Amino acid sequence: MTTEDLSPQEAARWALRAGLPVEPGRLDVIAATANHIQHVLRPLRELDLSDAAPAVAQPPLGRTTALTSGEEQADALAV
Amino acid sequence: MRLPYELSLADAAQAIAARELSPVELTDSVLERIAEVEDDLGAYVTVRADDARKAAAQAERDIAAGRHLGPLHGIPMSLKDLIDVAGLPTTASSRVRAHHTALKDSAVAARLRSAGAVLLGKTHTHEFAYGLTTPQTRNAWAADRVAGGSSGGSAVAVAAGEATFALGTDTGGSIRVPSALNGVVGLKPTYGLVPVDGVTPLSWSLDHVGPITRTVRDAELVLAALTGHHPTEGPARADESPAGLRVGVPRNYYFDRVAPEVAAAVHRAIAQLAALGAELTEVDIPMTEYVQATQWGVMVPEATASHEQTLRTSPELYGSDVRVLLEAGGLVPATDYLRAQRARALMQRAWARLFEEVDLIAAPTVPCTAVHRDQQEVSWPATGGTESEPDAGAREGVPGPDARAGTPGPQVSESVSDAYVRLSAPANLTGLPSLSLPVGLDGAGLPIGMQLIGRAFGEATLLRAGRAYETAHPPVALFGRAVGRRTTASAPTPVSRPTPPADATILR
Repeated sequence: MTTEDLSPQEAARWALRAGLPVEPGRLDVIAATANHIQHVLRPLRELDLSDAAPAVAQPPLGRTTALTSGEEQADALAV
Repeated sequence: MRLPYELSLADAAQAIAARELSPVELTDSVLERIAEVEDDLGAYVTVRADDARKAAAQAERDIAAGRHLGPLHGIPMSLKDLIDVAGLPTTASSRVRAHHTALKDSAVAARLRSAGAVLLGKTHTHEFAYGLTTPQTRNAWAADRVAGGSSGGSAVAVAAGEATFALGTDTGGSIRVPSALNGVVGLKPTYGLVPVDGVTPLSWSLDHVGPITRTVRDAELVLAALTGHHPTEGPARADESPAGLRVGVPRNYYFDRVAPEVAAAVHRAIAQLAALGAELTEVDIPMTEYVQATQWGVMVPEATASHEQTLRTSPELYGSDVRVLLEAGGLVPATDYLRAQRARALMQRAWARLFEEVDLIAAPTVPCTAVHRDQQEVSWPATGGTESEPDAGAREGVPGPDARAGTPGPQVSESVSDAYVRLSAPANLTGLPSLSLPVGLDGAGLPIGMQLIGRAFGEATLLRAGRAYETAHPPVALFGRAVGRRTTASAPTPVSRPTPPADATILR
């Protein structure tokens, strides 16, 4: 267990703070799983994110999520 | 002579248009096939046989009266049970949804209905799409192997003739993985091209809906209907040559920790594209060391958010593997979620630059064929480099060639889910289209899949290359083989070891 890892008791407090109640009997497995997830995410802390804004729920290259132009349809389907 | 359920969508559509086959005959044939094999395969949550027959009869009357809607008219299909159909439950293969009824059609169900397709029923998904194996369903080629997921039911139904085509969803490979493992075609379109309204979400940033079909031509026809474009009927265009297409062959990542038979089959397929006129060029895939972290960083918190309500009211109704991930996902700091979304933006920029050099990238869909149903992990030699040979010692209890007696060679292990999502995730993170198609069988007779990844809204290029390949190298058909066979104990698949419990090993 590293210093970043949550103990089961800490996991309970974090869950309460996040508004997601968990059963006391499940704290061990939830903490272990959360710590494993955090371990997987750690490389992102080493990445130089520069000026990148989050790519939140939008198509690649900034196009809208709704199918709009006929040109986009034609490009996607023209064979 | 082929039975109607064995026909591809394009062939069935042609026969219907020529009045050589009726939608009723086709639907009856598929329903008989379901009755024959469904107990062995478990692809369906529910089969709506009576409704399907009524819809087929209506299609027959409409076509006879000259009201032919297009190539999907009268074609029997199934929908992954995450996709709403008005009046039917969308169970998500979960007890959480035991009393659910969809109030209206999802956008894709409505479009398929408008195109005249006949709904057979809803197919199994790994619970709420949060899994890569769909344990309720058996691989169409071998009953002791996983179907893949999370669209396992749809892929197996298409492979086994229980549907002429199907829809799946793909958040981390869930169309392409089961398609590759079952020897069928799966298309994850560009993010946002096909509407997801009325599809139960797993991760809003990564979810896609797309077709699972027997041929690339069929995928093209279904995609056209899903995007609201109605193509004319008839044979595929004569110009199927990939001549002049620049095909990127990855120097890194996509051939690392890949079973030799899979790598060999995909390299052969790439060489065959070159023989058809494509130009090959080696490419370096960017930011590969951040793929898994970015996928988890985006998907895990979003999945928890989409289940927040039911996690509060009825957490005990979730399967144990899904429940723990949803609960733990609530403990991911927002800063990490935002880091993942920013990393995703960088990844999208880097991949866009890559597609200035090539028109598509060819790679394995998954690193190994379908594993055994009780297998939890996949092991690889810890030697690094490309196209790793699975260590001959990488079998339980057998020492490797460079090991002292009783000691296997050094190995790295990953969960089955992590292995299956590893090569799929980049196309979800970037939103770029990816087409998986079958390129052969391994020594155990299990299907191998190759994926073609294109630039944004470049589906036409992928379909062109895929059609050219399948015209020159038709896939091996499952039909005629016994459904429910089991593979031999000596099947050359990567080794398994039981995973210790309680770790989050499932990744979609």
